[in-house]
Amino acid sequence: MCLRCMEISRRSLLAAAGIGAAALHTGVANARIRPADMIPLVGPGFRPTDRDEQGLWHEMDRVEEEIADSNLLITDPAITGYLRDLIGTVGGPAAKDFRIYLARIPDFNAMMFPTGFAVVFSGLLLRMRDEAQLAGVIGHESGHFLRRHMIRSWRDQRRKTDIFSVGAMLAGVGGAGAGVYLGDYVQLAQLGTILSLFKYSREMEAEADAMGAKLIAEAGYDPMEMSVVWQQLIGEEQATAAYRGKHRERGSIFDTHPSNDARMADLEADARELRVPAKRYDNHRARYLTTIGPIRQMLLDDQVKLNDPGASEYLIETLAQDGWDGLLRFYEGEVWRLRNRKGDDVRAAQSYAAAVVYPNAPADAWRWHGISLLKQGRAAEAKTAFSKYLTMKPDAPDAAWVRQMIG
Amino acid sequence: MRQRSGAFAIAATVALSACVQTRQYSDVQFTPPQGNYRLLVLRPDVTVGSLTTGGMVEPRAEWTDEARKNIVAALQAQQATRGGNVTVINHRNALAGVSEQELADVERLNFVVDEAIVQHKYLGDYLPTKRGRGLDWTLGADAVRLGQKSSYDYALFLHAEDQVASTGRVALGVLGLAGCIVGFCAPNIGGAEQLDYASLVDLKTGEVVWFNVVDAASQVPGIKFGDLRTPEGAAQMVERLLGRMKPGHDVRRQQAAR
Repeated sequence: MCLRCMEISRRSLLAAAGIGAAALHTGVANARIRPADMIPLVGPGFRPTDRDEQGLWHEMDRVEEEIADSNLLITDPAITGYLRDLIGTVGGPAAKDFRIYLARIPDFNAMMFPTGFAVVFSGLLLRMRDEAQLAGVIGHESGHFLRRHMIRSWRDQRRKTDIFSVGAMLAGVGGAGAGVYLGDYVQLAQLGTILSLFKYSREMEAEADAMGAKLIAEAGYDPMEMSVVWQQLIGEEQATAAYRGKHRERGSIFDTHPSNDARMADLEADARELRVPAKRYDNHRARYLTTIGPIRQMLLDDQVKLNDPGASEYLIETLAQDGWDGLLRFYEGEVWRLRNRKGDDVRAAQSYAAAVVYPNAPADAWRWHGISLLKQGRAAEAKTAFSKYLTMKPDAPDAAWVRQMIG
Repeated sequence: MRQRSGAFAIAATVALSACVQTRQYSDVQFTPPQGNYRLLVLRPDVTVGSLTTGGMVEPRAEWTDEARKNIVAALQAQQATRGGNVTVINHRNALAGVSEQELADVERLNFVVDEAIVQHKYLGDYLPTKRGRGLDWTLGADAVRLGQKSSYDYALFLHAEDQVASTGRVALGVLGLAGCIVGFCAPNIGGAEQLDYASLVDLKTGEVVWFNVVDAASQVPGIKFGDLRTPEGAAQMVERLLGRMKPGHDVRRQQAAR
């Protein structure tokens, strides 16, 4: 039950079904689920009472232990505490029961596990422009738990595979008895079963979107921010695809999640229903940026090193809509430098030069600014830049070399 | 979840027929532990579930707890007969002198090493460089450090998963069998499967000295080859998995020469 994952399980399911490369690309339209209809199905301190759900929870204990001990986790108490408070605000009735872990993975994702612990990827923190957007994603994940999606989808799968197996067997035995071959129908039924599983999964995602919008509106955030998140994601996907010369994936009947376009449209409609007229919403941008401040450079660094210049550039420009700063300009330069196409060195040099104007330019901005200047034959200016670099980072691994170079 | 996929991969190769199969590998210099040795069993990974009509596995909390208890008891009884002193750790914070993080590191390392063993010993990607060298993998210094800090001689990692065919699954199998009369014969829809594996690490050298897989699968639902929920079934499993530990190639050759 994650924001946009299950790629692998979807593929394996398809492969197992032997459907092959069925290129049935069609638009997928589902009726929108209204936020007002989204009533939480669990109360505070929920414990499972049904046998199948108890089994699921039992198995998840070990998974949580594994995640809690993972060496990928970011454990900065200020940031994890902030996330815990946030899920405590938009977690509905289960707010106090949730656990939330932050993993250092530079990707846009978050997921909720059946027992009420969530994992947020660090790439999500980079992409969110303010607290309201992050609250939207966390609200969506809370929605999965509050609507009991894991056990419901498990039961749905169990029911449908049961029906299919019995049906297939009856068709085989009955068909043989009657002297007809029903194999083709069995294959159709199999395809139908699989498709209905995917549709169910998309419905749950749509439910979580609506529930999330409702939760954040109740907590006083602008519900419109959720659709902005999807808008940003679509833009990023387009940028990646354009750079790599491919088309962005659109919705198909094999999707576990609704298409991003559909989600954006539905969330916009949800927000219009939920918004209180004339109310002034605070998106708590300042508080958000202060909190992630200590790790923001790391987040940008991880992103830029993904070798996806299309997305990285789009992301940096999106973040810069709220204003450029030294960090963003430096990493803009890094995108060009690492892309290394014709003329990128000049672009990078311009970005480094722009970065060092800001007070929050990282030490490395001065270093690369210095190197660019040196290449342009401006040795005296380069020396100043390198001195600044050494002042800021006296223990830099290349400090001795830089010192020797500037004489 | 990753452990699951590894387990399925093993199952896919070993489970070709309805029977019990085991296949063990050991370090060429391996001698099964005897006498007064200290064995550390790290968080045995046990799951017992119900096999639904449609073939999905539904984990069951009470069956899993029961099975784990039985396995631990059987393991202790069995190792005692060899003179071993067994400690079973159920949580990472339960081992004196070793931090949670250190234990987690060893477990994670062991997991990927086990995956490599499965890949190159069981799934057919045989490595020419390891031909004739028995089981040639090591956890290295981390495991040696664990041994020094905890003063254990060996660490055993154990995974066991078992399924019990639901009434619906059994009925479906009966229907498939009945179909034989009219010419649609499907008696082998796949029944419950028990898959267990274990690896033994020598904490003096850090080497994985022994690895074994037991697969007790039945194509016909309702027929079972041991049930971990019962003490007898668990004892049978432990015996199949750990009871017939063979010495390594070189050791056997020396014994034969003598």
